[in-house]
Amino acid sequence: MAKAAHYCKKCVLDSTTPGISISGDTGLCQFCEKFTPLSPEKKEEYRTRMDTLLKSQKKQGKYDVIFALSGGVDSSYTLYRLKKDYPRLRILAVQFDNGFISETALENAQKFCDLTKSTYMRLALDQNALRNTFSKAASSTGAYPGTAKYRASDICNTCISIIKQKIIELAITTKAPFIVFAFSPGQTDAPFVTLTKPFLVWMRKLFEGNLKAMGVTERDAYLIDAQLIQPGTPEPEVTIIHPFLVWDYDKPAFKKACIRLGWIDPELKDHNSSNCLLNAFAIKNHLDKYHIHSYAYDLAALVRQGNMKREDAQEKLKVDITDASIHEVQRKLNL
Amino acid sequence: MQEPRKDILDFLKTQGFLNEKTVLQDNDSLSETGVIDSITLLQLIDFLEGKYTIQIPVEMITPENFDTLAGISQSVMTLKNG
Repeated sequence: MAKAAHYCKKCVLDSTTPGISISGDTGLCQFCEKFTPLSPEKKEEYRTRMDTLLKSQKKQGKYDVIFALSGGVDSSYTLYRLKKDYPRLRILAVQFDNGFISETALENAQKFCDLTKSTYMRLALDQNALRNTFSKAASSTGAYPGTAKYRASDICNTCISIIKQKIIELAITTKAPFIVFAFSPGQTDAPFVTLTKPFLVWMRKLFEGNLKAMGVTERDAYLIDAQLIQPGTPEPEVTIIHPFLVWDYDKPAFKKACIRLGWIDPELKDHNSSNCLLNAFAIKNHLDKYHIHSYAYDLAALVRQGNMKREDAQEKLKVDITDASIHEVQRKLNL
Repeated sequence: MQEPRKDILDFLKTQGFLNEKTVLQDNDSLSETGVIDSITLLQLIDFLEGKYTIQIPVEMITPENFDTLAGISQSVMTLKNG
């Protein structure tokens, strides 16, 4: 008989998820029990640092910021807000075409680049190789460390890691001092990450190991060009900024603002993505493999921080496994 | 100052980086044993900076210093003791 689920009184985690325990005394999960909210002083410190960085205008190359634009709500809003708050920024917005981006997301991305006078770049890799890689991610277990399984599905971890590697490569080659990712405060807790060569060499090695563990043989196209970070090359001088750890995070308000600016809701059945058709399948695949909803930690953190209502997070955790798009993705991945 | 090994292990366990069955030796590679990746490494750095009130310089974040329990403990103690 299945074990009865005990839900955390505060967030959306429950005792049936591997690794989660709910205290009999407090009714809270181990994360809510240890949670300390970010102080207003700390947030102000982050705001000042972001202002200082983004107003510094180093002008080393053609762009100040390489921006990861998916065409979904969070990244579309971030692009708009960055340009509104820092009008002089020269932004290269990169949309990674993983072969499963909705047409609407492609349109939205270009529309927001026009609106913000940012340069748009569609980053496309060999589509057959990518499908094969996602298929291997779906079929593998344990290619990523324990915590990564809570952070995202194996497919999303693979996709996001490719994006990171290629965007860092672009920042180095174009001499852009900043990279901006629109990760939610549930997805990351480091507002600024300064990249050094040893760290990049290590990151590259780690992701290469993940790909190898999945059985991906052609890995170089997904990794930072090794020559850029080999001994003797200059230090990269790139800082990653996650503005949602500085700004308040209010997704319904962002969506409203985006729609007002011309963003079109693709109305995917997936509650957790407004741009990627692969996402619903990735969630189901992760649930089947590990019994973990790959958005549970992210959403639980947002609820814990007061950035999302608990009932809204619970709604997002519902998975429609009959969704036709899931079967379509499965077919495309030959699974 | 108490040697930080236990705090690091407790942190890795409570954050779900390590399951109860995993036995880590002082010189085991955390990345090669699948305990950390680049994101979890940043979480660990954040934890150490808060716990020991230290600032870890980015140039110090290398596999030599942060890929093993022994390396991390040594780095923290070096920074703490100035």
